[in-house]
Amino acid sequence: MPLPGTDPGTPFLLRSVYLKSLRDVRHGLVGWSIGIALLVITESLIWPSFRDMPDIEKLFSQYPDYMQRLFDVSAMTSGIGFINSELFTLMLPVLFLVHAIGRGARLVAGEEEDGTLDVLLVTPLSTTRILLEKAAALVTGVFALGLVLYVVTMTCSLSIGMGIGPLDALSGCLSMVLLGSEFGLIALAAGAATGRKSLAVAVPAALAVAAYVLYVAGLLVTSVDPWQHLSPMEQALASGPLGGGLPLDFLWLALGCAVVTVATLPMLDRRDIAAPG
Amino acid sequence: MEAAVRTSGLRKEFRGTVALQGLDLVVPPGSVFGYLGPNGAGKTTTIRLLTGLLRPTSGTAEVLGLDVASRPDEVQRRVGYLPGRFVGYPDLTGGEYLRYLAALRGGVEWSEVDRLADRFELDLARRLGTLSHGNQQKVGLVQAFMHRPDLLVLDEPTTGLDPIMQAEFLSLVGEASRSGATVFLSSHILSEVEAVADTVAILREGELVRTATIPELRAQVVRRWDVTFVHEVPADVLRAIPQVAEVRVRDRTAHLVLAGSAEELLRTVAPYGVENVETHETDLTEVFLRYYTHEEEPWRVA
Ligand SMILES: Nc1ncnc2c1ncn2[C@@H]1O[C@H](COP(=O)(O)OP(=O)(O)OP(=O)(O)O)[C@@H](O)[C@H]1O
Ligand SMILES: [Mg+2]
Repeated sequence: MPLPGTDPGTPFLLRSVYLKSLRDVRHGLVGWSIGIALLVITESLIWPSFRDMPDIEKLFSQYPDYMQRLFDVSAMTSGIGFINSELFTLMLPVLFLVHAIGRGARLVAGEEEDGTLDVLLVTPLSTTRILLEKAAALVTGVFALGLVLYVVTMTCSLSIGMGIGPLDALSGCLSMVLLGSEFGLIALAAGAATGRKSLAVAVPAALAVAAYVLYVAGLLVTSVDPWQHLSPMEQALASGPLGGGLPLDFLWLALGCAVVTVATLPMLDRRDIAAPG
Repeated sequence: MEAAVRTSGLRKEFRGTVALQGLDLVVPPGSVFGYLGPNGAGKTTTIRLLTGLLRPTSGTAEVLGLDVASRPDEVQRRVGYLPGRFVGYPDLTGGEYLRYLAALRGGVEWSEVDRLADRFELDLARRLGTLSHGNQQKVGLVQAFMHRPDLLVLDEPTTGLDPIMQAEFLSLVGEASRSGATVFLSSHILSEVEAVADTVAILREGELVRTATIPELRAQVVRRWDVTFVHEVPADVLRAIPQVAEVRVRDRTAHLVLAGSAEELLRTVAPYGVENVETHETDLTEVFLRYYTHEEEPWRVA
């Protein structure tokens, strides 16, 4: 979103708040990408020896019922099931959440605590516009991580023969992107509402834990069942997430992202900006 | 012409503490306005209200004829702002930082940035994180001036600048003012703005205690005289002289504070036998400090 009339001498990544926010995360994204890639590659390399273990099915049938559903252990004898339970049901969601929440908190609350927000706000750009560009940059960053995850997952599956199809991987990666985005946007919202980075991290982190507890409780206790569908965790993870197709639940996640963003936009106009220092 | 800044009943409270109590301020267009006051007087609070970073508890602020609360973006387009504690992005070079802000503002001529950087002897190729405090402050000043705003709002602009750069800054303020801009700058000390300010306002504990032009303040310059008498000091006679603002007696010497002409004093004391007169030079600072420290009204010119 470069602004019209920008001097041609301006580096591309400094032409808008959106691009500058992406510039800030570029090194981080490289690091996260390498980490995620190594993780997926390691698990994929373990898979053949796991598959060839004798009596593996007998071992899993002894797991309690909720464990079987939570980590999808019954399906662990397939490539999809293995990667799902090893990575996509806990490890990767946590990594996406940590990345997105950290970014979301830094985008506004971080700038306010650093003192750089002052000059940024005293420009012709409205606070709404600035928040919208920052939200877009956040989602773009999470999406980029999802893309890396997709490419690595497909590459591993094809070269090791895990049988994860393009659509299977798509649903898994999309659920990570949507889940990360929603909680990252909640961090952005909490930061925009309070100006405090600690709260901008604590609020979405607490909500994520609560959502996970609700999801797990729904698996354990039948009376919780109708409520667990409110949990973004259940919306993202219950269907697979690898190989879950494109469930309607993803729409709820997308809607959640949209609602949080819209609620965030007027927040900086409603409160005092803390003075630097 | 409309005022560059006009506030009426502008009040700001922070959870119980009153930072600004019903400020009525008018800054004439094209003027250089020095906004003075001791620590905690409310200078920064006023400036953040004018730039739309704070919401007033009550009252209104108009900048360049625009209501800040309802049209903040138009105000922010036409204002150049230097925060009291300027912080840029440490990983960007000065040039990159200014390019970014120029892109967000639009319509900045880069030659103007180069000119300002030259004036401040600022190396735009260095990262802000590696610049000294004073050099970072210069980057803050350049971003405030670079789009040739109609109003400059500068919170303690000279902090961290060496005397040569302070002089350079003051000449930039003069140039901006001559080309029609209004400059609103805060400071702790009068001498810092004396040379460029047309008008000064003195704030104390969130209240305006005085608005005056520099010549008006100068008329208030007081002198200290120590008059030693041959015999006893005629204290009551001295106190009766209108230009004598204060009398303290020690032994045979009267320590006087004199505002205005000394003519009547000299005529009155002559018959009492004056042994010695010692005068001490004073300047505007002394007038000014009175507003900071004294609860009562400072001396008036008789
Ligand atoms: N965010 C805040 N929360 C609570 N009190 C505040 C806040 N900001 C300012 N104050 C109080 O308001 C008063 C005015 O502060 P302000 O920063 O405007 O003073 P100042 O004139 O700029 O002082 P200085 O010369 O030290 O910069 C002070 O008593 C200060 O403690
Ligand atoms: Mg201040």
